[in-house]
Amino acid sequence: MSNEPLIQIRDMNKFFGNFQALKNINLEVNRGERIVVCGPSGSGKSTMIRCINRLEEHNDGHIIIDGKELTDQIKDINAVRREVGMVFQSFNLFPHMKIIKNLTMAQQLVRNISKTEARKTAMEYLEKVKIPEQADKYPIQLSGGQQQRVAIARALCMKPEIMLFDEPTSALDPEMINEVLEVMVELANEGMTMICVTHEMGFARSIADRVIFMDAGEIVEEAVPTEFFDNPKNERTKEFLSQILTH
Amino acid sequence: MDALIGWWDDYFWGAVIVGKVFLCSLSLMITFGLLGAMAKLSNSRIAQNLAGIYTVVFRGTPPILIILLFYFGSAITLTAIAQIIDPEIKFVDVPPFWAGTIAIAVLVGSYATETFRGAFLGVNPGSIEAARALGMSNLQTFIYVRIPEMWRLALPPFGNHMLSLIKDTALISIIGLNETMFVAKQAITVTGQPFTMYIVVGAIYLGFSTVVTVVVMGVEKFGERTTVGAL
Amino acid sequence: MSFDLSLIVESVPMMLAGIGITLKLLVVSGLLGLMLAICLLLMRISGKWYLNIPAQIYIYIFRGTPILVQIFIIYYGLPQFDAIRESIFWPILREPTGCAILALTLNTGAYVSEILRGGVLGVGKGLMEAGSALGLSSRQKFIYITAPIATRLALPAYSNDVISLLKSTALASTITIADMTGIARTIVADTYAPYEIYMSLAVIYMIFTFGIQKLFGAIERYLGRYTKREG
Repeated sequence: MSNEPLIQIRDMNKFFGNFQALKNINLEVNRGERIVVCGPSGSGKSTMIRCINRLEEHNDGHIIIDGKELTDQIKDINAVRREVGMVFQSFNLFPHMKIIKNLTMAQQLVRNISKTEARKTAMEYLEKVKIPEQADKYPIQLSGGQQQRVAIARALCMKPEIMLFDEPTSALDPEMINEVLEVMVELANEGMTMICVTHEMGFARSIADRVIFMDAGEIVEEAVPTEFFDNPKNERTKEFLSQILTH
Repeated sequence: MDALIGWWDDYFWGAVIVGKVFLCSLSLMITFGLLGAMAKLSNSRIAQNLAGIYTVVFRGTPPILIILLFYFGSAITLTAIAQIIDPEIKFVDVPPFWAGTIAIAVLVGSYATETFRGAFLGVNPGSIEAARALGMSNLQTFIYVRIPEMWRLALPPFGNHMLSLIKDTALISIIGLNETMFVAKQAITVTGQPFTMYIVVGAIYLGFSTVVTVVVMGVEKFGERTTVGAL
Repeated sequence: MSFDLSLIVESVPMMLAGIGITLKLLVVSGLLGLMLAICLLLMRISGKWYLNIPAQIYIYIFRGTPILVQIFIIYYGLPQFDAIRESIFWPILREPTGCAILALTLNTGAYVSEILRGGVLGVGKGLMEAGSALGLSSRQKFIYITAPIATRLALPAYSNDVISLLKSTALASTITIADMTGIARTIVADTYAPYEIYMSLAVIYMIFTFGIQKLFGAIERYLGRYTKREG
C-alpha cells in the first residue's frame, strides 16, 4: 500500500460552456481520510466530486485516483469507477428491480461475481444498514431514509476504496436524516475513505478529518473541524458559517 | 421526369384543393373539439355521455369507413328527403368535398376533444383561484386565464391533429375528390408512370406537413416567450 | 328510408369472414414494424450522425405523408421498374397483401420508433448516473435500466398506435384486398345500404379496439406493478 494520496486533484478547472464552475482546484485525500465539503448553492461542490467519478468531465488539470489518471479513455474511467462508490441526493435506486436485485446487478455485470456470491454480499450489507427484511420489496415501498440506506449498501457491495456522498440527506424528511447519518458515521469509524458534500455540520464536526469550504467554484478554506468551526480565517467562510449556524 | 410536363398545373390545383379542405376542416375540427371538451367537462350527465359516445365511436372506427359512411349515407338520406318534397328527383348527392371535409373534421374532432379536455384540466388551479380572489368574473377568468394557459398545453398534440387532417385528405380521393391523388390516377392512365406520379403526391403532402410543423413550432416559440425562463 | 336489420344479420358474418385477413395484416405488420422501430430507435440514440440523420429523414418522410399514398406507391408504383419485377422480392410485391404489409410495416415503424424514443427520454437521468457510478457499460445500462423502464413508459402511446394500425388495415381494401372493409364495400355496392353495412362494420372495429385497449391495460398493470406502494 503506497503512501501516496488516494485522490490527487491538481490545478483542475471545469467549464459549462462559458461559465467556469471550478477554478484551480487542488486537493489531496489520503487513504482513510474523511473529508466534508460545504458551501453555498452553486459553489461547485457537487460538480467537484462528480468529476472524481467522471460523471462530469474536467477541462483542465489532473485527477489521479489510486495512482491512475482519469482521462477520456473508457478503460481508465471504468478502472476509477470500480474503486469509487457514489451515493446520490435523490437515491436513484432502480425502481423496476427489487432491493436485492438493486444490490446484486452491478456485482454480477461489472465484477462478474456469481449470483449466489452477490446475494450473500448483498444480504451482508443490508444487515449492515439494518434493513435486511426489505430485500424483496420494491424501492417505492420503502421510506426515503430506507431507500438511501439501500443506496449506500448498493455502493458498498462493489467494495470501493472511496465513497463519495453528494448531499445524501438533503432530500430526506428531518426524522429520517439520523438513520442515514448513523450508517455514514459507522462507515467513517471503520476507516472508509470518504468525501461528503453536506450541510450537516454536526456530522462534519464529529467525524471529519478535514472540512473544506467552497464558494464560487474555488476552495476557499480547508482546516480540521475545530479550527474550521471555531476559528475560521477567511471572510467568506465566516459569513457562510454565521448564516447556517445561527439556528 | 418528362412525363410530368403538362401535369404540374393539375397537381397545383389538386394541391389547392388539399389546402381548401384543410382550412374548412380545421375550423370545423376546432368547433367539434371544443364542443366535445366542454360537454365532457360540464356537469350534465347527458352531455358527458354523448361526448363519451362521440369519442369512442370516432376514435374506434377506421377513417376510410367514416368517409364512406358520410358520403354514401348522406346521399341516401338527402335523396330520401328530396323525394318526399319532389318525387321526380332521382338522386341527390353531397359533393365529395363537403362529405369528406365534414367526415374528417368530425373524426379528428373526437381526438381534439380529448386534447382540449386534457388541456383545460391541466390549467393550474392556483391561477384560477387567484383570478377569483381578485374578483374576476367567470367569463373574464375564462378568457384571460384559462384560455391562454390552455392553448399552450394543447398545442403539441393539436399540431398532430392538424397533420392528421392533412393526411386524411388523401383518403377523400377514394370518393372522388379531385385533389392530388386523383390527379395522379388520371396522369397514370396517360403516362404509364405510377411511381413518378404518386411520388409527386407524396412530395406535395410532405410539403404541407412541413409547413404545418414549422408553423406549429413557431407558435410554440411565441407561446414560450412569456412562460419559459420565468423561474 | 328504412333500416334493414335482416340485412345486417346477413352481412355481418360475411364481413367477419374477412377478420382473418385483417388480423394477419395487423399482427404481421405490427411485429415487423416493431422490429423496424427498434432498429430506428437504436440509430436515433446512437449518437453517430451517419445513423441518426438517415433515421430522422426516414421518420420524417413516413410520418409526413399519408399512408394511402405509401400503399399506392408500393402497390401501383413499384411495378414501374424492371428491376423490381425481376428481383427476388417480386412474388411478394406482386401481391396486394404483400404490398399492404410492407407499407403498413414501414409506416408503423416510423411512428413506433418515436414512441419508443419518448419512453427512452423519460428514463430519469439520475438512474443512468447511478448505473455509470456502479461501473455499468453503455450497453449494460441500456439493457438493464433504460429498456425495461422505457417499455413501460411507452406502453400507453404504443397501444394507441396499435389501434391506429388496426384502422389503417382498412385501407388494404383500396388495393383489392378482401379484408372486412373490402367485403363491406362490395356488399354496399350491391345493396345500396351504406348505413346498415358501414355502421355494423364500425361496431365490429370498435369491439376490436376495445379488446386491444383491455389487453394493453392488463399489460400496463403487470409492467407497472413496481410503481404501487402496497405490497
